[in-house]
Amino acid sequence: MKRNPDSALNVMGKTTYVDDMPEGADMLHAAIVTSPSAHGRFARLDASAALAFAPGVRVIVAADVPGENQLSTSIPDEPMLSTGEWHYRGEVLALVLAPTRSIARKAAALVTIEGREDLPVVVDPREAYAKGAVIMTPRTQRSGDPEAAYGMCDVVVSGRVESGGQEHVYLETQGAIAYPDDSGGVRVLSGTQSPSGVQAIVARILGVPMNLVEVETRRLGGAFGGKEDQASGWAALASLGAVRTGLPVKLYLNRRDDMASTGKRHPYSSDFKIGLKKDGTILAFEADYYQNAGAATDLSPAIIPRTMFHAAGAYHIPNVRATGIMCRTNLVPFTAFRGFGGPQGIFVIECAIDKAARALGMDPAEIQRKNLLSEGDVSHYGMSMDDARAKETFALCMDKARWPELRAGIAAFNAENKAYKRGAAVLPLCFGISFTKIMLNQGGALVHVYNDGSVSVSTGAIEMGQGVGRKIAIVVSRTLGAPLSSVRVESTRTTTVANTVATAASSGADINAMAAQVACIELKKRLVAIAAETLGAEPGSVGIVDGTVTVDGKPSAELSFARLATAAYERRIDLSAHGFYATPGLHYDMKAEHGTPFLYHVYGCAVVTATLDVVRGSYRFDDAFIVHDIAESIDPLVDMGQVEGAFAQGLGWSCLEELKFDASGRLLSDTLSTYKLPDAHFMPRMDVDFFTRPNPKVVANSKAVGEPPLMYGIAGYFAVLDALKAARPDAPSFYDLPMTPEKAMLFLTGDLDGALGREPGR
Amino acid sequence: MIRTIGFRLNETDYRISVREEALALDWIRNEAGLKGTKEGCREGDCGACLVLLGGPIQGDQAPEGLSAKSAVEWRSVTSCTLAMGELDGRHVVTIEGLASAGLTPVMEAMLDEGASQCGFCSPGFVLALTGYLVSGARVDPVEAMVAVEGNLCRCTGYGSIRRAAARLAGEFSDLPSGLPERLAILAERRVLPAGLAAAMAVPIAPSGEKGSGEAVARLVIGGGTDYFVRNPDPDPSLAPSFSDKGPRARSIRESSAGGRSAVVLGAAVNATDFFSSPVVREAAPGVERFELDVASPPIRNRATLAGNIVNASPIADMTAMLIALGAELRLSGAAASRTVALEDFFVGYKKTVLAPGEVVESISFPGGWSSFAFEKASKRERLDIATVNCAVAVRMSPDGTIAEARYSAGGVAATPLRLRDAEAAMIGRKPSAALARELGTIAAGAGSPMSDVRGSSTYRKRLLERLAWAACCRLWPELRLEEELLA
Repeated sequence: MKRNPDSALNVMGKTTYVDDMPEGADMLHAAIVTSPSAHGRFARLDASAALAFAPGVRVIVAADVPGENQLSTSIPDEPMLSTGEWHYRGEVLALVLAPTRSIARKAAALVTIEGREDLPVVVDPREAYAKGAVIMTPRTQRSGDPEAAYGMCDVVVSGRVESGGQEHVYLETQGAIAYPDDSGGVRVLSGTQSPSGVQAIVARILGVPMNLVEVETRRLGGAFGGKEDQASGWAALASLGAVRTGLPVKLYLNRRDDMASTGKRHPYSSDFKIGLKKDGTILAFEADYYQNAGAATDLSPAIIPRTMFHAAGAYHIPNVRATGIMCRTNLVPFTAFRGFGGPQGIFVIECAIDKAARALGMDPAEIQRKNLLSEGDVSHYGMSMDDARAKETFALCMDKARWPELRAGIAAFNAENKAYKRGAAVLPLCFGISFTKIMLNQGGALVHVYNDGSVSVSTGAIEMGQGVGRKIAIVVSRTLGAPLSSVRVESTRTTTVANTVATAASSGADINAMAAQVACIELKKRLVAIAAETLGAEPGSVGIVDGTVTVDGKPSAELSFARLATAAYERRIDLSAHGFYATPGLHYDMKAEHGTPFLYHVYGCAVVTATLDVVRGSYRFDDAFIVHDIAESIDPLVDMGQVEGAFAQGLGWSCLEELKFDASGRLLSDTLSTYKLPDAHFMPRMDVDFFTRPNPKVVANSKAVGEPPLMYGIAGYFAVLDALKAARPDAPSFYDLPMTPEKAMLFLTGDLDGALGREPGR
Repeated sequence: MIRTIGFRLNETDYRISVREEALALDWIRNEAGLKGTKEGCREGDCGACLVLLGGPIQGDQAPEGLSAKSAVEWRSVTSCTLAMGELDGRHVVTIEGLASAGLTPVMEAMLDEGASQCGFCSPGFVLALTGYLVSGARVDPVEAMVAVEGNLCRCTGYGSIRRAAARLAGEFSDLPSGLPERLAILAERRVLPAGLAAAMAVPIAPSGEKGSGEAVARLVIGGGTDYFVRNPDPDPSLAPSFSDKGPRARSIRESSAGGRSAVVLGAAVNATDFFSSPVVREAAPGVERFELDVASPPIRNRATLAGNIVNASPIADMTAMLIALGAELRLSGAAASRTVALEDFFVGYKKTVLAPGEVVESISFPGGWSSFAFEKASKRERLDIATVNCAVAVRMSPDGTIAEARYSAGGVAATPLRLRDAEAAMIGRKPSAALARELGTIAAGAGSPMSDVRGSSTYRKRLLERLAWAACCRLWPELRLEEELLA
């Protein structure tokens, strides 16, 4: 069965999301009152006009919080409701409840701020760093001795790299519905990647133990990291409203509020220095990453190490220093976004290689090829790169793209044409799999076999379009022997599987399907025993495959999976089992910045080509050739969608999506009419092959797929840069992502010269 | 304000009182309880709320043997910018209407290709592709993807959607051209449930009750694709009137007053009407090439030219084109009517000469242009607002010199500009790279571009110059001016 039954509901419009849940007549709707500038103080809020606007309006402020008014899971620097000072524009000051959403929003607009005093604003991470506004102490990973190694290099170049933020634009905006419970707690339907995370925050805000808070998530209309940590606040606000009023409360953000008040991918400003031999061998690389963390800690401390882990990209570099600095600014707290700091790190090393290639007069692809990771190379953070697949996937992709012919064809085209220039670039990928915070690498599952043979699976995994439910169902079906059509993956619920972690870090299937497999192995043991007894066979000879019980491989006419379940029930056998999985072998010494933080790496390679319209300064992507290390795919249709979709997001981040703030910290690109993400027309032809060598380290010999292919989009930046350099060969390169048509045009007209990417001080 | 309307939702006819300014999206979700229509952005930019809208055919366009009254046309529209008051005498199809008999071939194609991940955008894509098959447009893989240019998907990267669209294009390349026959075939092949297909062929009678805004007309709404973006939660006291008052309002006709032929556009002519009109294409050769540069199919299906003009954005694409085509507006007020040149209609940022109570009655422009070019720079090529745009229309003399020229530029001043210096420079000249350069220099000196989210002032200045070059390249492709201009 190839079709995903969940998707069948989608295309018929039957899938329900938070905003589609039935609303009783007593439900209150919530709207938020947010800060009017990026940094300021206020004396008090005047809600009188809002309260007078319509009957039934309620206004809730920080003083109404019965528990601890704090959303942060690390440094307590993120109050849910502002307590007199705000630190970014869009911060929540008050919650307004009303019988309809329209009234709530209109009343919210009438809440006024008294005694407002605006305070100085910092939006630039380097400025924040200079002023000492850092979150935690900067971290440095080191291998070898870069300083000494430069002495052995033929070429040493340095430069500066900027990369912009990225708005998630999950099509379903953030929201939650909270139902008050007679226990004094709440039941919450939350659009979150982390129901347990929401549960903990709601309990803290309400000042109740976690067992009085039940959180359920059926599915998400996209998340991409944006609902990992930042769904909690909306659920907690709705919960607070529900507890204060005794009525169900729904808080569902509209697009503009969502864009203004929720975190996005971190913008980075970075410096690099790279040293190479004449033949292109990289001997040393250093990078300083100034991460724009925004106004609160959020997940920044987990994101910065992933940037550092990916400092060397898919390359073996013997001498590396990578320093990550979390800079506190007056922008919305930046958060998880597919790739989680990895893309920012990989972009910097690729810029360094591009610049070195220009200095050496080499094709950047040649430097890339020469330095790819090999089996057993030790990374700059001390991990042995076992089962490295960089060279094989690179070679396959170059063959697929017919690289020598492609390059020659582009050169010939560019020699003949002035109005159009073509360009191409390669992106070799190596991406580490596991949460960088080791304690998060755990998951649970609860599997019931009902006495009619139907199967119910609950895990901590959240279905958000990535097909994790489908993968879990396939693993359960295979392990248990139940037909795939009889397996139902339940919504994710804190009362069913407790203490779960966010569905994130590409690990949703790895961790949760593993946990489900553990439970199924136990259940199968019990079922096989009953089958053996019933059929009078040796337990070792009994199998269960796709709904059929077999003895010595021969199907039993007597016993199907369903009948077996009934038989087990009649014999008073427990047909439920809980499974638990904790990723083995992970360790990391934070002091030494050394260890094995990943279970394995995902490899691959992409070639992207672009055509530049020199007159108009615009460009189009032509082709993307991708060879992706999927290992044994549990569901190729799902995995193909993940690869293409992640690539599109990476290409969007690299070239199109421009998150623009002004100097006062106001988000200018705050709607879908000003923030443009890839549409169908923007995307090139995509030709993806899977590299299928099994990965014995996880369930079904598969590999995680969510994040890694996003990096392929970075090739888009360099493909356009390549075409631009063909138009102006002598102009200096610039490393300022995204590569918008504006930058392309200003490069062509010479207005960008010297703006970026030049060596400091030269 | 409350008004009784007669309309059809899927297979059910309604004759009910509604708030006429309320948005169809909200009514469908909250009153009709059909939750398959999603709110993704509430500004017409994502297509998650897409529905099919059936109604009376455009004036002058009824097929032979049918009156405009008995003919129906179907288009995809965004329900987040569609007022309930517009639905009188119209038919709305939602995903529930398509799915009432189970999976359709469009849904199956999406399923088999994995074209639905999180599912939030999926109903919109199904509607867009189904609407495309209903529309009678040429069926091929490229056109099928144009049909979803108003739909955003954040999950798939569109590869699987392309594969699904290509498969559908292959399966349905032989649809008949007449709507009733096409609907019958689509029903037979399960694209539409039989009952729905039958209902879609039959017009529905409007309530006949006048809107409350008809008498006062303080606010006339065209397609609503801009008004409701700025007013996403319209006030219940609003008493709008809608410019689409029947076939005449959407008529496109030729007139030959004063010796030269002219094209006259009714106040409710929308962008799709405009670009598909043979009369327009004849008068402004090549204009249809620029249709895809403007908004998206569901927006073009609703956005009126008059609305685009009266909204008075300095960057309006249709305004830029119409200035270059020499358009005039016929304005009518309580007392009298008057004619204003389009470029004189704008007096400041979002300010026009329109007096209180005065409305745009029609738009006209002279025909006989030899060639027309439009250039637009935007971040994304499709469904994006221009950073800078320009348009040029020329009439050539038999000796190859330019006899008449019009040049407009948008995005560089508080109002859309007509560049008379550029026009003067062109008259009597033969096209050349030197002329293109000169135009570039003139254009770059025009206006006073600002820096904003869509681009810096430097970028805009450069664009003014480069788009002038590009327009010349487009007007005279055989001269290959690009190579010389970039030498």
